[in-house]
Amino acid sequence: MTGLVVAALSAREVGRRRTAVLLVIALPLCFYLVRRDLPGQSTRLLAIGVGWAVATLTVFVVNASRSLDPRLRLAGASVLDIIGGRLLAMTGIGAALATAYSALVGVSRGDLAHPWGAVLMLLLTAVVAAPFGGLIAALLPRELEGALALLIVCATQLLADPAGSAAKLMPFWSARSLGNYTVDAAPTTALWHAVLHAAATWVLCTALTLAVFARRLRVARYPEP
Amino acid sequence: MTGDPRWLPRFEAELVQLGLEPARARQLAGETAQQAAEFGAGTAELFGPAHLYARHLVAALSAPGDTAPRTETPPGLARGRVLLRLEGVGKRHRRTTVFADVDLTVRAGEVAAVVGANGCGKSTLLRICAGLSTPTTGTVHRTARVGYVPQDGGTAGWLTPAEHFTLFGAAARMAPRRARSTGEHLARRLAWRPDRARCAQHLSGGTRQKLNLVLGELHAPDLLLLDEPYQGFDQGTYVDFWQQVRAWRDSGRGVVVVTHLLHDLRHVDQVLDLSAAAPGPSTAPAGGGHGTGRRA
Repeated sequence: MTGLVVAALSAREVGRRRTAVLLVIALPLCFYLVRRDLPGQSTRLLAIGVGWAVATLTVFVVNASRSLDPRLRLAGASVLDIIGGRLLAMTGIGAALATAYSALVGVSRGDLAHPWGAVLMLLLTAVVAAPFGGLIAALLPRELEGALALLIVCATQLLADPAGSAAKLMPFWSARSLGNYTVDAAPTTALWHAVLHAAATWVLCTALTLAVFARRLRVARYPEP
Repeated sequence: MTGDPRWLPRFEAELVQLGLEPARARQLAGETAQQAAEFGAGTAELFGPAHLYARHLVAALSAPGDTAPRTETPPGLARGRVLLRLEGVGKRHRRTTVFADVDLTVRAGEVAAVVGANGCGKSTLLRICAGLSTPTTGTVHRTARVGYVPQDGGTAGWLTPAEHFTLFGAAARMAPRRARSTGEHLARRLAWRPDRARCAQHLSGGTRQKLNLVLGELHAPDLLLLDEPYQGFDQGTYVDFWQQVRAWRDSGRGVVVVTHLLHDLRHVDQVLDLSAAAPGPSTAPAGGGHGTGRRA
């Protein structure tokens, strides 16, 4: 219940930052439009753009609550309520963004081998991006450092050879692999590898984020006088 | 920084008009300017209108026993159970000792002030009392229900006061409607009617502090920990705040308040001078009894 209230109010906070919301929408759109002549490049860039935007939003939302969260802990909320609620809100916003862009891809691209793969690619990327952004915010509690770390990760993700091992260590490798399935009609194993990679990344990022915040937001339980 | 240059002459003139010797009025004006400079705020911003603050200060100075901090509970007020007990508490940051060997006992129905020079660890001590920071040495016993009001921050800029009440109420397992009505009721006691549409970042500094105070009290804690909670308050709100502190005390709660303002000490039952617990030379007056910081 508390986690749902945190999620609802976090989403409302984001909704009021209209300029930030517009920029979050614009980032993947720019990536998509700049290579719209190439189906593979445009859809993969769109997915990375969605991931980058959602992760950045999460970094800012989690960091903006740094002074609030200890007070919520003292009032009785658990770390899972607070951080889980915020990640839930960011996942919801990411899923909405991914759904909207899935519709755009569906309308504007008739040249995909597996059109539903694009929907899965965008949704998985958005779902992974929220806890990944949460982990960045947990490890780098200042916005500038967090944004720069995301820039490094996402730029490396874009530039790395998808077949190389370095690319597979990146959080959004599943988008590249699903792109192969969606656009280039790669075998179904590419789809399952992507789903497994996304699931493992989600579990790892969520667990590490909660672990870091469990330590940072710990409240000493003193004995009664 | 004193803000309006006419504030201090007005304040001094008002003090003289209220019967103080000109030299004493000049001295008080100088101390007031110094306090404002310590806060990095204008005098008008910090103390409100000059004539009101002058009247308040004269009333405070003429109250019996105002100059000596009380270390005893006022007569007629039964001392309640212990809500907070610090024994030999110390804090080190890497190789630097912030303070050492601090003892403090706060009972139900008591107000304790924590005073001391800048950087002596007042806010750190309050965070230790809250459980947000752990002491390096010593032991802390504390009641479970505690409200904490930080010096700044502690609110979400894009949420309205009502949404803050809902959020903090949810953390304390209160129903949203009850949390909102409780929050609005507590706000009215600080002469504030929250605007339903205005986000916290658009509130004035003083109103944001009122929101901070209400959030600290929303879940009805037994012990309130307040870190200079009146920054940005105008004179009327400042008076309302101390009335509220007295109401908390009379209702059997314990209050620990960090303050810079020496004239606040007339409102409290005991004073912990943290300068005395800091390493190095100290000129702080020594006090006896529990609640007085001691040197290691």
